[in-house]
Amino acid sequence: MARYVMAVDTSRCMNCRACILACQQRNGLRYGYYRNWVRRTPDAGSPSGFAFQPGSCMQCENPPCVAACPTLATYKGKDGVVRVDKERCIGCGSCVSVCPYGARYRDPVLGVADKCDYCAPSRALGLEPACVQACATRARIFGDADDPNDPVAKILAVRKVTRVEPPEHSPKPTQVYLGETKPTDWPRTTALAAPLAMMHVVAGAVRWLGALSLFGVVGVFLKELVLPSGSGPRDPDKTA
Amino acid sequence: MIRRHTPSAIFMHWFNALCWLLLLASGLALLANPDMQPVGAWWPRLWNGALGAGGLLDLHVTLGAAWLAVYVVYCLLYLRREVLPFLREIFRLTPGQDLAWCLRKGLVLTLGEPAMRRLGLNPELPPQGFYNAGQKLFAIAAVAGSLGLVLSGVLLALSRGLTDAENLVQWALFVHLACAGIVAVGLPVHIYMAALAPGEGPALRSMFTGQVPEAFARHHNPLWLTEPDGPGVMRK
Ligand code: HEM
Repeated sequence: MARYVMAVDTSRCMNCRACILACQQRNGLRYGYYRNWVRRTPDAGSPSGFAFQPGSCMQCENPPCVAACPTLATYKGKDGVVRVDKERCIGCGSCVSVCPYGARYRDPVLGVADKCDYCAPSRALGLEPACVQACATRARIFGDADDPNDPVAKILAVRKVTRVEPPEHSPKPTQVYLGETKPTDWPRTTALAAPLAMMHVVAGAVRWLGALSLFGVVGVFLKELVLPSGSGPRDPDKTA
Repeated sequence: MIRRHTPSAIFMHWFNALCWLLLLASGLALLANPDMQPVGAWWPRLWNGALGAGGLLDLHVTLGAAWLAVYVVYCLLYLRREVLPFLREIFRLTPGQDLAWCLRKGLVLTLGEPAMRRLGLNPELPPQGFYNAGQKLFAIAAVAGSLGLVLSGVLLALSRGLTDAENLVQWALFVHLACAGIVAVGLPVHIYMAALAPGEGPALRSMFTGQVPEAFARHHNPLWLTEPDGPGVMRK
């Protein structure tokens, strides 16, 4: 199984935003909604006066969105890509609010979560992700990191890699930046929404009380088989 | 023999029981995140394999809607004849007596009467009405839980069309799980006491025939027999 990784060389990005439009077009996104972005930060050292940083879902190794999803509609595939099964998604939005990168949104019409999946449908047809194809400067390099002949594996072997991650509880992003990138301090660890966090508590309580109830009943049932209460010395039930 | 349940109530009980068990099973399968549901990941996997993800959700929502529709019709048609009397009956609580009944019955079931006497505990159960304290408790949980499930369930089913309602949807999900959980914890006890416990056979048969032997009722529900609107009313 391939392990898909995207490496972004931000020094090549000139903020043309072709990646954003290509993604919208390829994936038929609704007007005003985006799966990827280019961050713009003032930078005196750059010829344009800005540092540009393209990004999208970081396809984390420990994705908080997967842990936050009550139905596991959001899952991490064996190929490393975090995806949404729209049939399973009930649109509760927990994944949207918990993502440290703000990489998700709830589709206003379908009412389900939407995010970058490295263009899974067209990738299955052998195409590169739309943002990679559209990039005039080849700032985005995409491929199978486990295949030593793949361009992404080759470049990862020689270049310094920077991860943009929250200062605490890093979800271990697998989308990486080549060399330096700015800024690196923007992702934020966000707590699971309160109702979902309380579902953990309720699930635990029901697990233990349910087991007590079920095994208690089974125990009493077995006890009645071996030692029927009707055989006790004094039993008013016998007259009933 | 005296009449204990009407045919309509019997139909509603078994219809409700079937829907409840299927909805509980499929609902726990939908909640596939093992940290957010009580049974573990094997259960969702089992159901997913059989129905596929979308099929499972469709089944759950369709069944829930059918269950609700039948209940609405039943409540409208039988409000004065059955629904209100049932609610009055289950909420007729006598806290001290009810607590004594539940504690002693629990000990009778687990320790047994001889052991209780040896420990100096009184195993005599306080006399009960149409429903005993345990049945009232379970019935209240079932009614309250079902109401919570209806409200949160309707919201969840319609929420795909809502925008900016994520927080509401999340709370509905929490209420849905909590209400189902409360009833689910009581269900094994209910089913054991109703269908498997020795000596309860006549009560189980009454959920099919509607009739219960007078001697059985005198032993289990003495207060019911002496009530002014006791079995005489139900006999009609
Ligand atoms: C298949 C399993 C079930 C069996 C064998 C069963 C059996 C019975 C019986 C025999 C009664 C009548 C008791 C009497 O006349 O004193 C009863 C009552 C009742 N059942 Fe069930 N039942 C089952 C499942 C359920 C489920 C799933 C629910 C709801 C969640 C439910 C809710 C009730 C309620 C509310 C009553 C009336 C109050 C009470 O007896 O606690 N039952 N059941």
